[in-house]
Amino acid sequence: MRWKGVGTNRPDFAEFYRRSKDECLFAVLVSVGDRDTAQDLVAEAFARAWASWRTVSRHPAPAAWVVRTALNAHISRWRRRRREVPLADPGAIADRPTAGETPGSPVDPQIMAAVRRLPERQRQVVALRLFLDLDTATTAAALAIAPGTVQAHLGRAIAALRADLIPQRQKEVPS
Amino acid sequence: MTDDDLITLVRAQRRNVQMTASVEEIIGRGRALRARRRLPGLAAGALAVAAAAALAVTALLPAGHRPGPPPARLAAWTVTRQADGTIKVTVRQLRDPQGLQRRLRADGVPASVTFFGHEPRACQRYPRMSAALMAEVFGGHGPPLVIHPKALPHGAGVQLNPLHHPHGAPIALAAGLVQATTGCTGT
Repeated sequence: MRWKGVGTNRPDFAEFYRRSKDECLFAVLVSVGDRDTAQDLVAEAFARAWASWRTVSRHPAPAAWVVRTALNAHISRWRRRRREVPLADPGAIADRPTAGETPGSPVDPQIMAAVRRLPERQRQVVALRLFLDLDTATTAAALAIAPGTVQAHLGRAIAALRADLIPQRQKEVPS
Repeated sequence: MTDDDLITLVRAQRRNVQMTASVEEIIGRGRALRARRRLPGLAAGALAVAAAAALAVTALLPAGHRPGPPPARLAAWTVTRQADGTIKVTVRQLRDPQGLQRRLRADGVPASVTFFGHEPRACQRYPRMSAALMAEVFGGHGPPLVIHPKALPHGAGVQLNPLHHPHGAPIALAAGLVQATTGCTGT
């Protein structure tokens, strides 16, 4: 995808920002889990996109570039100030979030937790295909994988989300 | 519920999320970034600061590790006071953060533990944190996480949060230093 009008004043950047900002924020939010942090990360990533707009506008999916930049910045930020120790079971987010643990969360905590439980590559595909509405070919180009691999990851992710979310919702609606 | 219904349900969450920064704010920050790039001295300084602040250890799980059901036999976490006075923390599952927080506080570690959602707003980063202090408090490279309570400066506490990696390991436990306050670490 090529965004036209690339120049000193970057007249197309404002339109790109307007169209993409909320989707990018959502894609980052479900990965980092904190709205304020996600806002900061996405704002910084868009600022970097503006600063490198000549390059970013030629990216197959500039919104995917923004999301990836925001998530990379998240890693860097935490590495500078935290000591990290791996968990024995990386799938064990375990406790379903409660209202008390996610005050004011704009996203259904069950859905956010289910997405965050997905393996990294599946989460990337979900973010690009479902949250940014990219087609399979563009998603494949952005992630440098084959279109068939995108479809396979998406299929597995949907199956995992179904297995995670449907039983919870059935419990909430007793027959 | 069909796959399409499920996708619609997940996608619908996007409506609840709105970016608040204006495009003018973004462009203003972008201009500052570009200006900074043009100053080699500043760029070198930023690299030096980043290098100094970087922690020595980032222990990650192997990429591609597939999540599985949580092990049923093991406790979600264990806290062990060792003979040398250090506290060994092993977290296997992100369960019962309040229990872990109580246990650490009972063992003399001012602590704030959050496994999902927002960190307490009362928690502020410890202002005199340094890589050297982090190494003193958290000792060698994990896992497991080992806390040296005697190395905690007066007014400092420990904060534990999960860290989600978009690349490589899905989840790690991040330990940092915060200001010890009643609202954050209980003391």
